[in-house]
Amino acid sequence: MGVLDGKVAVVTGSGRGIGRGIAMKFAAQGASVIINDPGVNVDGSGHDAGPADQVVDEIKALGGQAAANYDSVAEMAGGENMVKQAVDAFGKIDILVNTAGILRDRMIFNMSQEEWDDVIAVHLKGHFSTIKPASILMRQQRYGRIINFSSSSGTIGNTGQFNYGAAKSGIAGLGRVVAKDLGRYGVTCNIIAPGAGTRMTATVPDSARELRAGSGIQGAASNAPVQESAYAGLRDPEFVAPMVTYLCSDDAWDINGWVFNVSGGSISVSRYPVAERSIFKPGHWTLPELDDAVQNVLMKDIDNPAPPRDDIEVPGRDIAARVLS
Amino acid sequence: MGSSLEGRSIVVTGSGRGIGAEIAKLIGVQGGNVIVNDPGVNVDGSGTDNAPAEEVAQEIRAAGGNAIANFDTVATADGGENMITQCVEEFGRIDGIVHVAGILRDRMIFNMTEEEWDDVVAVHLTGLFNVVKPASILFRQQRFGRIIGFSSGSGMNGNTGQANYGAAKAGITGGIRCAARDLGRYGVTSNAICPGAATRMTATVPDAARDLRSSQGIQGQERAESIVNQLRAGSYVAPMVGYLLTDQAWNVNGKCFNVSGGQVSLSSDEVPYRSINKAGMWELDELQALVPSNLMSGLRNPAPPPADLSIPGRLVG
Repeated sequence: MGVLDGKVAVVTGSGRGIGRGIAMKFAAQGASVIINDPGVNVDGSGHDAGPADQVVDEIKALGGQAAANYDSVAEMAGGENMVKQAVDAFGKIDILVNTAGILRDRMIFNMSQEEWDDVIAVHLKGHFSTIKPASILMRQQRYGRIINFSSSSGTIGNTGQFNYGAAKSGIAGLGRVVAKDLGRYGVTCNIIAPGAGTRMTATVPDSARELRAGSGIQGAASNAPVQESAYAGLRDPEFVAPMVTYLCSDDAWDINGWVFNVSGGSISVSRYPVAERSIFKPGHWTLPELDDAVQNVLMKDIDNPAPPRDDIEVPGRDIAARVLS
Repeated sequence: MGSSLEGRSIVVTGSGRGIGAEIAKLIGVQGGNVIVNDPGVNVDGSGTDNAPAEEVAQEIRAAGGNAIANFDTVATADGGENMITQCVEEFGRIDGIVHVAGILRDRMIFNMTEEEWDDVVAVHLTGLFNVVKPASILFRQQRFGRIIGFSSGSGMNGNTGQANYGAAKAGITGGIRCAARDLGRYGVTSNAICPGAATRMTATVPDAARDLRSSQGIQGQERAESIVNQLRAGSYVAPMVGYLLTDQAWNVNGKCFNVSGGQVSLSSDEVPYRSINKAGMWELDELQALVPSNLMSGLRNPAPPPADLSIPGRLVG
């Protein structure tokens, strides 16, 4: 008896990594799963039916139900196809998990239009292409679970990931709206910002982490090399699956619109952004007034995540600290 | 006339009207040179009209400032590059880019068309890339630059019927955070603004929609019942943007500021609020016990299902 008995799920990008871990867990808990994966390389190139087929075989060998799908989420037709396949093969869709993603890291000043477009297409439009058709059916049946995959690269920020960070932060924003659009119909939408060692994170060389740390640039997570991190033993992508499974179970019917950071055995919920500090004037601020109030109140002791190098001339840097008037 | 931005040359997208126009005018008053970009579209992105940008540019020049109109769209790479190029050709350099341009195509997620999604993401989010990419090349070379993106509480907190807009606006905050980390070491700052102001755009949200939302228990963007509510003119957003463009703000980087009326707030990063930890893989029964009682204790569903809807699990536990 599993917590997902009788449920039908679509998991995008589940041929490998975190998506695969979720699909396996879903199947073990009784769900029928569409294993979507076009089998592309980390940069989005190529095509291979192997990864999706292999996960389907594994699930079937364990006595579960699964069917493979090779569509790309970057196209509306792709998203519609996999939702339709769930209905055709298993009669309905209860759960949609959007794990599919690619990476095209580049510093913003070197990033090409194609690198921007491709990452936005797979991640951000890739969430819309599946959520739109799924939401129609979930609203009609007054039941559904949607899980979006964001990243600390978007919610916190990371070097060399303007495209990925924008897409991932956008996915969190999309999830918060979908939660509000669909909550009243018995549908929940939550967001996961995962931490795991996968094929994707393996493309970030340790030298890049060291370079960041050496230049005083705060990265999204730890600047420490993976193997030295406190969670070194807990970075299997399978660790993300239990929380996703819980959120997709009936028990979690009232958990909606939240961002969960899941890494190893650590699960945290992120607070919606709140006004950390405020300054107020009953009228229009002048620039000198703002200079005072921002330096001495609003931004006092707040870090610059990537301060200018000491050896460059920065206009304004030599202005002595202003005193609050 | 002030001189905080003397000699600085800045592109302001969507500055033919609303908040953008107020920013452009403030830059002019502070001695800066400004490219007033606005293709003059309707709120939904349709049509074009050179008049809004031309009128703002003329107004700035009449007040003794330097301004030139530009009618390109930020939704294309060419449009973004053109306005950066025009700034360099007209004024000799570019010191800042303020991306205010935006459109609205509100629709519930289950009714939203691909076109409504694409158009909104193109103007807001890809629009940010289209101007930041070419500007960042020059900013890095000259070791100076200011990038200001316009996000929204709709993206950071979620607002019904705005899946496209909320995704694009939250994406802008994420992009700004990454740009801050890519460019900070070169003397460039990148920040985001979540404005609260009454403009042509917010006027498209009928009060009836706000009332409907609140009657159904859906949390919307709150309209604070405070003095701030009386101060919703777009002109109130301009000073903080102007300040971030000045030399004095050289070390303010990677942040998001909520600006509404005379109130300026530093928005918290999306940091973990509460956590549960286990030195191993969680079991489902452990999560079933700990998540509601501990992790999510007191955190409400922003759009709960109505009481008369049969919800599997609602009677459990």
